Amino acid sequence: MENQKNSNFLGGVTMTKIIDLSVKEKIYESKKAQISILNDFKLEVADGEKIAIVGESGVGKSSLLNIIGLIDRNYNGEYTLLGSLTNNLHTNELAQWRNQKIGFILQESALINSLTIEDNIKLPLLYAGSEKKEFKIEDFESVVDAIGIKPILKKKPLECSGGEKARAVFARGIIMKPQIILADEPTASLDMENRERIVTLLFKMNKEFNTTIITVTHDLEIANRHDRIIQLERSK
Amino acid sequence: MKIFRFIVSKIFLRKAILGIGMILLLCMANYITFAAARSILSTFQGYQETKYINQEGIYIANLDPESHMDMGLINENGTHAVYDYLNNNFNYAFYTDGFIVSIPNTDDMDISLGYMNEEYYKLNQFELSQGADVDFNYQFDGEIPVLIGKGLSTTYPVGSTIKMEESVLGRSITLKVQGVLKQNAYHSNYYALNSKTYYNFSILVPVNEEFMNHANIDLRLNGLMDITILQSTKEQIADLGEVIKDNLGLIFNFFSQQENYDYFNEYYLHALKIICIITFILLVVITCLSVWNALVGVRLMLKDFTINLLVGLSYSKLKKIFYGYFGILSFINLIVIFIITAFDRYGCWLRKDATFATYGLFGLIGMDWLALLLVAASDILIGVIVVESMLWKIKKIPISLGVLQ
Repeated sequence: MENQKNSNFLGGVTMTKIIDLSVKEKIYESKKAQISILNDFKLEVADGEKIAIVGESGVGKSSLLNIIGLIDRNYNGEYTLLGSLTNNLHTNELAQWRNQKIGFILQESALINSLTIEDNIKLPLLYAGSEKKEFKIEDFESVVDAIGIKPILKKKPLECSGGEKARAVFARGIIMKPQIILADEPTASLDMENRERIVTLLFKMNKEFNTTIITVTHDLEIANRHDRIIQLERSK
Repeated sequence: MKIFRFIVSKIFLRKAILGIGMILLLCMANYITFAAARSILSTFQGYQETKYINQEGIYIANLDPESHMDMGLINENGTHAVYDYLNNNFNYAFYTDGFIVSIPNTDDMDISLGYMNEEYYKLNQFELSQGADVDFNYQFDGEIPVLIGKGLSTTYPVGSTIKMEESVLGRSITLKVQGVLKQNAYHSNYYALNSKTYYNFSILVPVNEEFMNHANIDLRLNGLMDITILQSTKEQIADLGEVIKDNLGLIFNFFSQQENYDYFNEYYLHALKIICIITFILLVVITCLSVWNALVGVRLMLKDFTINLLVGLSYSKLKKIFYGYFGILSFINLIVIFIITAFDRYGCWLRKDATFATYGLFGLIGMDWLALLLVAASDILIGVIVVESMLWKIKKIPISLGVLQ
């Protein structure tokens, strides 16, 4: 059974609820067996909230992010995002939401090696359609300047350090100015300096744009800097 | 379109070996399908054309492979004796071609002369695009009415005359153009039904008894090789065989209707079945290899697909991209097959090969287009199998953040 331990409550503060997730069961199929995770799991997230999700490997942290990020709909439950029930949305609509409402910040390896760093960062713009019109080149440059990756824009990922790649992944995650950022172990393989840089950037997004942050992490020090910690435990 | 261009150029083509592998596999599948389809269509056309000889009482001469031809023993008297016997005892269809002559024409082709008697003309029902049927009761010393192929019709319109030194008569003759054969009219080989001779640069000369009497030994001997005896019996045919053997020293076989059927069935129907089975097996093997190649591609590109899906690509768009990509590969292969065929067909024009020169876009004729259509159909089938296999694989994994860890 999953257990939520709330370390920071938003009690008394009125905020808009942007995520309302209720999972009865998610079946994870491994090669050997079927594993039931996220049993009777409920999650409500307010606009601008920072949530850390912790738990040992295999409890369903990434599966939860897949569901919140509209990648996985193969579960028993209901998910309302920004006031809309997502279960019946067409795959094209889901893709559009992922493009414009959700930013994924992943480990530094989540870059396409055949593209330059600039092309990797601009990748969401390719799928933005008409929304892209709102995007200005200054926005891209301000993101690049803020993150400090201008010198590596023309490089390929394999020519960059781990820290540089992590910042490129971060830039791609925020380029569309999403309302929600889902961060999956964004600092897992980074040194202390780069780790701090990424976390600072993440919280800066939250502070400046009221972006909702949901971070999956094993790092308790980082988890404790969020408004709330949700600890997932293995089903018994 | 921009997304399609991006995925193809930045992801698919970056794994060049997979793209090249798929193109090569498709090319093999296309060529096998094309060759088999064209062979089947051509053989079917041959069947249709030679249907008339599969009738009761019809026998076709065929030189026995064991027969030793000694030209020293064959003389004018012997061939005359054989034709006298034929004229007195049988109705027969006579046709022989391949006598090359050089006469001026717009395409500068060497022209093939074909000789036929009235029975052959009646059996074949030549279709004309201009002019009228030939008359076999012409004055031998006057103008001989002939049919010509479309390729000669500009230089020699209906009503015009052609003067030439004729080899089988050994003298100068005048031919009068009576009619123009339909474009790409052909004649199938009786014993190799998928082999054809096209009449576009041929002149068909009607042969009557007087002509035959003045013709040299070459015409009479060549004409015997495929002579078709009509309304006859096995006994009469056996006697004819003996007359030929006595006068020319040659052993001829005469195939009856049933023997023709048996022959066709044994060699051609059987061969066609084998072609179909082998083609099917090869297509299955190539399809399996294509699926394997595509699934390896999915594994290698899964991370790239996942990242694209996370930032806004949808499964339905991905499906369209896969089909579009496969469609382009198929189209490239169709172009390759088209070029090979055009090179083959148009090569006949460049080589001045009058008996195989055909009209059409780069010389491609109906059966080529039909075979290309079948290739396109097989590509669609292979494409659906490969693309659906790729999508099945992607959804089976499935795409998730876990893929990137």
